Amino acid sequence: MKKYIIILLCFFTFAFAIQENLFTVPENFPQPVYDFSKNPLTEHKILLGRTLFYDPILSKNNTISCENCHSPFAAFTHIDHALSHGIHDSIGIRNSPALMNLAWQKSFMWDGAVPNLDMQALAPISHPAEMGSTINEVVEKLNASEKYRNLFYNAYEDSAATGEKTLKCIAQFMLTLVSADAKYDKVMRKELSFTAQEANGYLLFQKNCASCHTEPLFFNGNFENNGLPMDSVLKDLGRMKVTSNNSDSLKFKVPSLRNIEYSYPYMHDGRFKKLSEVLNHYTNGIHLSKTLAPQLQQAIILTSNEKVDIINFLLTLSDKDFVFNPKYRYPK
Amino acid sequence: MYQLENGNDVKFEMLKFYISNIQLLQNNVTVFTAPNSFYLIDVSDTTSQNIFLNLNQETAFNQVRFNLGIDSTTNVGGAMGGDLDPTKGMYWTWQSGYINFKMEGTCNICPAPKHNFEFHLGGYQHPFNSLQKIELHTTTKNNCRIVLDIHKFFTAIDLAKQAPIMSACAEAVTLSQYLANCFSIP
Repeated sequence: MKKYIIILLCFFTFAFAIQENLFTVPENFPQPVYDFSKNPLTEHKILLGRTLFYDPILSKNNTISCENCHSPFAAFTHIDHALSHGIHDSIGIRNSPALMNLAWQKSFMWDGAVPNLDMQALAPISHPAEMGSTINEVVEKLNASEKYRNLFYNAYEDSAATGEKTLKCIAQFMLTLVSADAKYDKVMRKELSFTAQEANGYLLFQKNCASCHTEPLFFNGNFENNGLPMDSVLKDLGRMKVTSNNSDSLKFKVPSLRNIEYSYPYMHDGRFKKLSEVLNHYTNGIHLSKTLAPQLQQAIILTSNEKVDIINFLLTLSDKDFVFNPKYRYPK
Repeated sequence: MYQLENGNDVKFEMLKFYISNIQLLQNNVTVFTAPNSFYLIDVSDTTSQNIFLNLNQETAFNQVRFNLGIDSTTNVGGAMGGDLDPTKGMYWTWQSGYINFKMEGTCNICPAPKHNFEFHLGGYQHPFNSLQKIELHTTTKNNCRIVLDIHKFFTAIDLAKQAPIMSACAEAVTLSQYLANCFSIP
């Protein structure tokens, strides 16, 4: 009996260590929002999700994978594309968001239309301008593939693909995309220090930007109108499309600023190519409207030197180990 | 096929809906709760129309409670399997959420192209929460037969004016309420 208990204890310690190894909460981060108990991470499930992420099998004609619009070297967004192109070179209406620290996000997409990471992948899979398929078609193709039958067997001890398993595995891979090792983090952990310019930029950032781009994740989970005039062609009302509430007109989810160096162009429609354009918008370009964020009602005043300092600080949010991490790349 | 009172034929192509959170009560006291009960009822699939509850022979009940649709917690709870698997075609992908009730068909008086009617009713967020709580009284002991009288629904709406519904909106809530009134135990 005693022996039995010891073996059990060892097993639990081992299992705990594996989960720890697959997902660690960085010491300067809060607890994640995602409920891991409903989808416990395993190496095989993450590998299956990672394989799916890079596989155009998710699209109707096997041409578009998640990676097309979410490349690792661009912090998992579509570099140099204001609006991404999907199946048959269709152009969407929004800039593809960078993917990182998704376990801390309460909702997904620029308008928060998706409330749970598991269900996020359904949107691009079925959007006619993105992958143009359906989850049913995807599951059917996966079940017909020997490679995937093996991967599903390894992950679930059952080779049959289902919608639930497919989505949960894609979510597992996305959950592992944690970026918390930028110079900023090293400064917070007292391993490095800011230059004088970065330090001044940090102070200016805290004063002018941090109420929405809140540390340490650099987003606050809210939807705000940041004073961009509506594009007359795209006519995108943002969050209002989801809630049908006028008070949400022109509001979009506050994005994280981590890895912003890699994730240009900026804003929900990618209208700004450079960080200097973004800062000039906040000081000189605010378009007044009823739903404008209260923080922007009063003009932000920055000298050009101060803007340079803020940009220098923003560059400390670049996490090279994240964008070049081989475990996030195409699985060999 | 079904005929309206004005003589027009209604042809159904699809009629599917979710029943969830089944409870049995005796004089307003809950005597049985079916755990994790989510059932997709498909009119074209007779096996889906029987729900078996595992309860004691002695359990007496005179009320049946259930939801027409999926509750908000489940809507935001991540990917689910079985009848809740998104491959069942009962999940909105671009603006997430379960479709509680899906009905499609044709009728000559419908203004839409090809005279189609399409009602995809769902929505779990205020003010467009279309989930309906239904309570019915019964005198039966074992097999409880619940009837959905779709005639009542088509009497409540005007197919000649009714536009298709495929998103969470005020109209979806109203139509869901009409549907809730169509359930009875004869």
